[in-house]
Amino acid sequence: MSRVPRIPVAILEALLPEESREVVIGDLVEEYLELERRHPLRARWRLWREAVGAAVSLQLLPTRVPAFTPYTMESLVQTIVGDLRQAFRVLGRARGFTALCVLTLGVAIGATTAIFSVVNPVLIRGLPFPHPERLVAAYERGADGSRNERMGWETFADVRRASKSIESAAPVGSWEATIFGERDAERVSGERVGWQYFKTLGTHPMLGRDFVAEDDTPDGSGVVILSYALWRRRYGGDSSILGRVIDVNGIKRTVIGVMPSSFENATLREAQMWRPLGYVLGGASSCRTCRHLTNVVRLKPGVSVERASREIDLIFAQLAASHPKEYAGGGGGVVGLQERVTQSVRPVLLTLFGAVLLVLLIAAANVANLQLARAFRRQEEFAVRMALGAGRSRLTQQLAAEGLVLALAGGAAGVAFAAALLPALASRLPANVPRAESIALDWRALAFAVVISVGVGVAIGLVPAVQLGGRGMFDSLRGGRRTVGAASRRTRAAFVVSEMALALMLVTGVALLGRSLTKLLGVNPGFDGSHLVVMPVRAGGVTYQAPGTTLQNHDRIRDAVAAVPGVLSVSLSTEIPLTANVDRYGVQAQDKPLDHPELAPSADRYTVSPDFIRTMRIPMLRGRDFSPAETRDSSIHVAIVSADLANKLWPGEDAIGRQIRLSDAKRPWWRVIGVAGNVRHMGLDEVVSLQVYVPERAWWDEESDMMLVARTAGDAKRVASAVRAAVRSVDPRQPIATPSTMDEIVDLSTAQRRVALTVFAFFSAIALLLAMGGVYGVMSGAVTERMREFGLRAALGANPSGILRLVLRDGLSLALVGLAIGGAGAVLLGRYLGSLLYAVEPRDPVTLGLAGVVVVSTSLLACVVPARRAARVDPMTALRSD
Amino acid sequence: MLAELEQAVLLATLRLDGEGYGLTIRDEIARATGRDLAIGTIHKTLTRLEVKELVASRMGAASPHRGGRAKRHYAVTALGVRELKATLRSIQRLAAGLRLGFDPP
Repeated sequence: MSRVPRIPVAILEALLPEESREVVIGDLVEEYLELERRHPLRARWRLWREAVGAAVSLQLLPTRVPAFTPYTMESLVQTIVGDLRQAFRVLGRARGFTALCVLTLGVAIGATTAIFSVVNPVLIRGLPFPHPERLVAAYERGADGSRNERMGWETFADVRRASKSIESAAPVGSWEATIFGERDAERVSGERVGWQYFKTLGTHPMLGRDFVAEDDTPDGSGVVILSYALWRRRYGGDSSILGRVIDVNGIKRTVIGVMPSSFENATLREAQMWRPLGYVLGGASSCRTCRHLTNVVRLKPGVSVERASREIDLIFAQLAASHPKEYAGGGGGVVGLQERVTQSVRPVLLTLFGAVLLVLLIAAANVANLQLARAFRRQEEFAVRMALGAGRSRLTQQLAAEGLVLALAGGAAGVAFAAALLPALASRLPANVPRAESIALDWRALAFAVVISVGVGVAIGLVPAVQLGGRGMFDSLRGGRRTVGAASRRTRAAFVVSEMALALMLVTGVALLGRSLTKLLGVNPGFDGSHLVVMPVRAGGVTYQAPGTTLQNHDRIRDAVAAVPGVLSVSLSTEIPLTANVDRYGVQAQDKPLDHPELAPSADRYTVSPDFIRTMRIPMLRGRDFSPAETRDSSIHVAIVSADLANKLWPGEDAIGRQIRLSDAKRPWWRVIGVAGNVRHMGLDEVVSLQVYVPERAWWDEESDMMLVARTAGDAKRVASAVRAAVRSVDPRQPIATPSTMDEIVDLSTAQRRVALTVFAFFSAIALLLAMGGVYGVMSGAVTERMREFGLRAALGANPSGILRLVLRDGLSLALVGLAIGGAGAVLLGRYLGSLLYAVEPRDPVTLGLAGVVVVSTSLLACVVPARRAARVDPMTALRSD
Repeated sequence: MLAELEQAVLLATLRLDGEGYGLTIRDEIARATGRDLAIGTIHKTLTRLEVKELVASRMGAASPHRGGRAKRHYAVTALGVRELKATLRSIQRLAAGLRLGFDPP
């Protein structure tokens, strides 16, 4: 007995009528055991088929059907083909109904397919490398549990050496490369990588050779590998490039390879050039606390991410034990490379996918509802067909076939809609979406569309069949009256209620996202962001190696830009708010010595040219801006601190005239001459950080990586190209970046939320429209049915407005039930939106109330037409109708 | 008039002389007609025949090769035989004299 598959037997135990259970199961088990000795697989397949067949024929189909059709495969296929043909005929006759259903399903399936086409390549499909599931990145955990993907080189080397899970691994550092010579200088993003980088990913150059261990040493690293795009663009796809020496950042480097065009650099999409990292033990930047390197790791076959994580965690524990000063003791682990690459866009994409599934549910409910209403109108047709000998199962199959044909037609329309929608959607995605180039309506998306179409088709076909079949409504020939029973009206009402509930969830999503965005854009960034041109400037190469030359270059750039018509003022700074660069220093007050210097508050360090505070229009709260003498003389050390920093260092006291020190004891003291307003450095939605401003000539390094800001009189966009030309005129050999405006930077920082809001709003509009149609259909049907009652009421003296109110009250009660259910769903959805919300609680009563009002008024609007029809009833017509 | 399937089940039950049950009746039909019917279909038909009192059944003993479950043996009643004869005779009469290219039964 133990050999008999349990599930089919359990199905039979549950489904068969009491009197035949024992003997039928006995027969099937006997047959199975007999056949199983010779053909185990066939026995199993047959048992399943027989079990399902027996359950269907003995339980679902009533015994008193006069001519029972035997259940064989051939007859089943024939019946299905016949049913589909019949479905086409029936639907072809009901053109308006069919068009409405296909349109509804087309929009929903199309939208779902389009979103899937984005979600699948970006979040689900593996990276385009062999065995992408074995590619991970190791991280270090802070004492507070936060993950830090960057670690020091010695840490990485220790982890790689100690781990038994790692097959191959390479550290990765960022590299801003400027290519000089031959043509204009060009600045490209690159990476400094361990020599095993490409091997770890499982790829290699298309031309030339990969890095080898000898390249990856402090002095042997004069080689580079180019991306396909860079090779084509700058070197015309010339294969004699191999062995050519090019000038990168003023250093001669030999090109040894070109990557294939299909290579997708997972860690940094825009990287165009790679050079070996060349770190060694004890090197200047190799230390354990020099946490600036990310990594790629390939696990050994069969090692799971969890197992590797546990092992790496253990290794970090050992490191923390042997180097307590360098590690916080939080441990470590690995995360899938794909997950790491896509984590920034995961919330917004999953949110959109969730939203579109809600739309799909609403559309399916709507079509099922329409089909149900139509099935009731066809009761006589069904009754006649039954009287002519059609079995109840045949009618059920017929309805299922109609649902399927509708859904497949909807699916076809949906694919066309998705093809139209996808380019518009893809172009609106935030610029930082990884893997965006692989978004396409491919066979996977088509397969997805087919699967959801069939699923929806079966669902919308079975609903009316179960409704009608279960209530014995197929055989209502005798009555001839098309009265919809109370039970079936409840079913239709339930559909409408769920549509309203789903619509409420979507509308709430829009309201939450909309309020978040409004609040976010209303956040004071601490400076005046309008009319600002922003542009990176960087001067490198042999010209700028002598002391002072870099700063002189900055002066020339400022003079040139200041002369541009429309520019009010200009300045340079190492940092700009909202661009996500972090350069923080611990700040200590001379009069408040700390036992533990590492506990000093850390502040964003802005090393600035003259006029920075004025150009940015950061308010000076106390004291003053730097004087011309202070910006010229490198021996005067004065600083401006932000209000929060002043408050943190000297709570309740005046900061002016105090001395502060940045970094460690080797560095000088700076006198505070002013207190400036706080600036949102990390982003509008981030907590306010602390800032300290120092003049660039007094700083201990000459900083060459700067951001230029220019305040313009009019539209910043129009002055931008003149600013660019002015910067270029100072030294045409230097690479030139594209200027942007601060407004554009703010836009980019809110892009994810804006996309989510736009798409949510679009989906909500569809959902409301569908729900409105659903309410209209149900109310309209109910009014038709009750026309006689309304006539009677009118005849007995009820006035039209009373009847109007009666119908509207029915509609309102539907809406309120939908609201109650949807409200609970909306709170859940709000939690799911979590990271996209800003300063708005998911259960914010104002937002929920607002969404509720929108949904209720929409449904009342849908009731107005049927209600007015009821109110206009002519008592005589109604009385005569029998 | 009995339906085709009812005739087949009655004939097979007759051939098994009171010892037939679902599985053996199915096999008997398969052997003679080549049609592989589902067990559910056989039981369905037997239930209907029993309601019409054309067959009678008795429970057999439980046996281990059926997972400890009993069988239900079927025998054709006198009424069943009469109905079957009537149906077959009608068919014969309908077929008589027609040149269908094979010998009438």
